[in-house]
Amino acid sequence: MTRNEIQDEILKIFKDEFEIENPELDDDLGEKYEFDSIDALDLLSRIEELLGSGLTQNEKKQAMEIRTIRHIVDYVERMAAKRS
Amino acid sequence: MERRVVITGAAAITPIGHQKDEIIDSLVNGKSGVAPLREDDLLSGYIHSKVFGTVGYPIAYAFDRKYRKTMGPVSYYACQVAKEAIEAAGLAAGFLSSGRVGVAFGSTHGSPTVQRDIYKNFFSRSPTRFSSIGAVDYLKSMVHTTAVNITKMFGITGRVIASSTACATSSQAIGFGYETIKFGMQDAMVCGGADEYDTTTVAVFDNLLACSTDFNATPHLTPRPFDVRRDGLVVGEGAGAVILEEYDMARKRGADILGEVIGFGCNNNGGDLILPSPTGVAEVIRLGLENARIRPDQVDFVSAHATATKMGDIIEARAIHSVYGDHPYVTGLKGYMGHTMASCGVIETIITLHMMEKGIIAPTLNLEEIDERCAMIRHATKLYELPIRIASVENFAFGGVNTSITLKKSE
Repeated sequence: MTRNEIQDEILKIFKDEFEIENPELDDDLGEKYEFDSIDALDLLSRIEELLGSGLTQNEKKQAMEIRTIRHIVDYVERMAAKRS
Repeated sequence: MERRVVITGAAAITPIGHQKDEIIDSLVNGKSGVAPLREDDLLSGYIHSKVFGTVGYPIAYAFDRKYRKTMGPVSYYACQVAKEAIEAAGLAAGFLSSGRVGVAFGSTHGSPTVQRDIYKNFFSRSPTRFSSIGAVDYLKSMVHTTAVNITKMFGITGRVIASSTACATSSQAIGFGYETIKFGMQDAMVCGGADEYDTTTVAVFDNLLACSTDFNATPHLTPRPFDVRRDGLVVGEGAGAVILEEYDMARKRGADILGEVIGFGCNNNGGDLILPSPTGVAEVIRLGLENARIRPDQVDFVSAHATATKMGDIIEARAIHSVYGDHPYVTGLKGYMGHTMASCGVIETIITLHMMEKGIIAPTLNLEEIDERCAMIRHATKLYELPIRIASVENFAFGGVNTSITLKKSE
């Protein structure tokens, strides 16, 4: 997947699952949208589906520091690259 | 210190209606909320009892996603009745978060619907499911999910009591909530219970041969508490919430007082986990009266637990008679809606309050011919226009847990 495709998928997940529409790529999701650790774990499940592969515990823990859409897209890009 | 405890708000989702006027209409017109058991992909095909006390109308939930994300179906019910009861009582947000308000609320299992999904995941051999349990699945399904979704939604920071005693769940919630306020630990409590549609519960009773199976073609004719043709209980779904409040505080703020809780009795049979015990039941009735400091002849109305099982109704009738004789009218409200499990105590309490307000006593639905072994008490067999000044609401659960709540009409 290209970075743009990844970004589109992530934005779609945010719209459909989290009811967050058109977030700015650098918005702090926790501050602006009350996006919490429960939401982060749900997002990781959706990312696993997107990647077609499980994430390790360590990889999931890395993701828990993420605060913005841009960082999420970076993360998915990295994870996809590791798996290709 | 012993303070008076009044009820300042009430809301219910029942098989016979949601709003107060719908529920009263069903009582006055003898309408049943029992319908054919909805099919599911798991157990409904195997169950012999094809009837269920059904909430057959849509509910306009308006919960933000931040609340919905930790809620299974049972918590939707719980939060809706809590919301309506809190609004009816007019409790301010600041008071709700003050630490002086708590929650006593429960359900039989938490959410069996969500639990099934979790287990399906565990046992699935499908390679596409990577995460074992969804982050929030546990929160949606856990036994105390109703109580804590209520505390979350309303910012309630006081005590939480999450009773989970099947049929005695919400009557214990009311009783423990009453004691919490009476003895000064809290000033108000959101009390109640909820249970969602679930075929595993029906299967449990079906396997015990306790469910009604003779009226599958005519669901509205069952259950039949105390009736000669009764053939077992009908499982149902529903929810109810009452706001209990310290009396002086309620009076000073001009709250609408729907009634007063003047006593609570709770005991255990100390023996068989299924059959009710005549001595255990008689004793809990006495405990409820003693706690209220009233005599049996002062009780005008008894809401019987009366699930319409062959033996249960007889044992209860004898116990009622041993304490009360044939003085108070007795109604088995489950005739209208089946056994709404964890929510039956609070729903039956709320219906009793409605009848107190309207000055009526509703009859036991489907009681056409009284079983002579239950005939020693005064059954309500038609609608009466009679005042209820003091009422007793009885409930008994698997495990021999018995409760008796004594209610007094608001002055």
